Amino acid sequence: MRSLTNFAPSTFEERGAAVAFTTPVLAQTRVRKDSRDQLEVLVPNLSEGRGVYVVPWKSLPLAFPMTVHDRMLHDLIAKADGCSPDDIRKAVLEAARCGLAGGGAVAAAEAALNDDDEQRLLINYQLIVEALKAVGLESTEILRVGLTSAEGQKLTRDLMMKAAQRLALEPTELYGRIAELAVMMESIGIATSPKPARLRRLMRDLQGFRDSMTDWATDNVSEAAPIGGFCAEVAEHTVNHARNVIGQLDQAMASFETLLRQWETKRPQIRKACSRLSWLLDGWEYLILLWSDALTQDRYSQDMAVHDIFRVIPLLPRDEGRIDQSLMADKLITSQKRSVRAYVDWRSGQLDVDLVMRIETLKGKAA
Amino acid sequence: MEMRDLVALGDKLLDIDEAKFRQVVELLEQMNEHPDIQRTIAVIRPRLVELRLHRRPTLKRLFCDPFEDLFEALGKADPVPLSVIERSLMNSLWPLVEAEIGKDRLRSFRPALQDGPQRKALTEAFWAECGSAVARIAEGATAGHYSDALELRMNPARMRALTDIATILSIAPEVAEMKAALSPKPVPKLHADHVEAIQAVGRRVTRARPEALKIFVLIATSRLSDPTVLLSGLWDMDLGQKPADRAALFMALSGTVVAQMEDRSRAFRSAPGTDRMAVADLALDLVASLDATRAAMEHSRNKDFDQRLKEVRNSVHAMVKTQVLQDADAGIVAAIGALDGGSEGRAQLAQAENQARALRKCATIADTLGLRGELREMTQKTTASLTEKAQQALGGPAGNARTGYTAIRMIELIAGPAEANKIMDGIMNGGRR
Repeated sequence: MRSLTNFAPSTFEERGAAVAFTTPVLAQTRVRKDSRDQLEVLVPNLSEGRGVYVVPWKSLPLAFPMTVHDRMLHDLIAKADGCSPDDIRKAVLEAARCGLAGGGAVAAAEAALNDDDEQRLLINYQLIVEALKAVGLESTEILRVGLTSAEGQKLTRDLMMKAAQRLALEPTELYGRIAELAVMMESIGIATSPKPARLRRLMRDLQGFRDSMTDWATDNVSEAAPIGGFCAEVAEHTVNHARNVIGQLDQAMASFETLLRQWETKRPQIRKACSRLSWLLDGWEYLILLWSDALTQDRYSQDMAVHDIFRVIPLLPRDEGRIDQSLMADKLITSQKRSVRAYVDWRSGQLDVDLVMRIETLKGKAA
Repeated sequence: MEMRDLVALGDKLLDIDEAKFRQVVELLEQMNEHPDIQRTIAVIRPRLVELRLHRRPTLKRLFCDPFEDLFEALGKADPVPLSVIERSLMNSLWPLVEAEIGKDRLRSFRPALQDGPQRKALTEAFWAECGSAVARIAEGATAGHYSDALELRMNPARMRALTDIATILSIAPEVAEMKAALSPKPVPKLHADHVEAIQAVGRRVTRARPEALKIFVLIATSRLSDPTVLLSGLWDMDLGQKPADRAALFMALSGTVVAQMEDRSRAFRSAPGTDRMAVADLALDLVASLDATRAAMEHSRNKDFDQRLKEVRNSVHAMVKTQVLQDADAGIVAAIGALDGGSEGRAQLAQAENQARALRKCATIADTLGLRGELREMTQKTTASLTEKAQQALGGPAGNARTGYTAIRMIELIAGPAEANKIMDGIMNGGRR
């Protein structure tokens, strides 16, 4: 076990990706790869103690009694190729879909997967339109006949052939570049999209979280107020970083012709920016939902929610920001000592049914 | 908007969006004195409380401030005060108090509604004057008779409520101080600073008006999520009384607490088919209250309440047995079969999950209630049926995996994750995964 300061991660990969477990003590704990490329999980503030426990992924079910849903999720992540936020999200949706976390989670997972499909179609179409626009070709005709119709597909093929000629590219190469870009940008979408994609929506919600938490912490006499202020500050830094990254991506998309022509140099930059954005916003969705749920409850529950958020808040890694957030968090813990609140039912030592139910309800709201 | 339109809205106001609701409340407030408007406000009161709307300050509201905690509870889940004052009694009482004090004199108290240097003194003077007015009105009322002035039959509860209001108003500054210390309502746990505040203010009440101490303590309990919390702390509190008075107060409060427990334990007896989770929550609460009350009684070594507490326990026993345990397996297993039934099936499933959680919740109190054997039997029976379902769905190639996983989830909710994981491993190791 190491203290939070000793443990301050330098990179996102070292920080790990948040996993949406329903076992209260494991909720939003982070998974990453160790030096031997083996998965390990980071469990913060066990029983409200200080520091972070590092547990090998394989030993997790032995160390903590887990819900059946979490056992399945554990299995799926172990079998997956990587542990990036996107890999984890895929496993989380797959586990939620089978029904082990309740009907609400099934509906939410299905809605999320449908939304992904919709966004995939939308971004493909939008990128084709952008490509045609970049070389001065009119694309409204495709929209009129419909992209999915046979006529529409023929029209698109013809126009794309022309576009490829003007860009001095092989048509298959142009298609390949657009398809790769669509995969990278799927969760972000483009600025002019009529339906903002997942990460843009998440960034907007994070701004709302920051505002709401700042309002709550201002003029609040509760002992959780400084912690709430800190959470708002972390959200603020994250939003600023995310806004920069989205700005870079939007700029690259705005000069689409240059992007296609200088594909080899631009591709790694786009890939890096997309991956950075998903790392930046990783773990916030649950916290935003937790907070909006707490706002409808009494002040005591709000104080508790702020402590819960603080426990797993995605601090920016040292390499990302000039301010060392881990150091600030450690100072805050020292000045805000509070009583032990274990994540088990105090009468029986078993899993707290109400807490699990609360996490499952939040899972049902995440779509 | 015309007044009749506002009134016609009635309970529709409970569903409109928050911004519009606030606007409508503002309009209603401007015409507050009309009986129709008061009826509409009574309908929407639960939402007013939920949104904690800041209502326009009026003298009537200031009059109610010291005893508002004793008004009848609005929501089912809200804690019920140990000594209730009806809102309708207060509504009939206020015009009489206004008449007693006189319009001109009342007008002189208006600055108490605004911030200012004289606010505190004026408010306290207002409460004192109202207290004397209510005491005079109470003297004029006769128990058991119809009061023309109040337009209400003066049953013993109403007579008691009138006297209580007069007493509370006479110690209103102390009540205000205690309310500030026990905020926000409901307080889930008594901390040292809460106890200290109750003791300090309570001692002042004992010195000035010893007969008001009981109602003062009752108001304090009504600010807690569970009145037994104060009961268990009361024995050790120094409220400045003589030992004999302390014992008498403790017995009086114990009597009220036990009476309330008796009422609550009867609440679900006549309503079968209610939400099983709500029954389980109530049973847990009552058992915790029973334990706390028994522990408190240990101090006083008074055996008078033993029989009554035993009856409460028997009521809770019957409630859990008939409304949580009985036929629990049928509902849960049937819901697994209804998975493909669209939205209706989903609602049935959610209800079954609640039943399963209720069963598990009651495991913590089964020993105290002497239901351990019955609960174990029901849990085993349900788990066996669900295991069979899961086996059929997950064990063979033709099964529906979703049904199987849902059955496993139900086992988890009833018997806990360890048991569910064991069964799941058993099925998976014997077949596909």
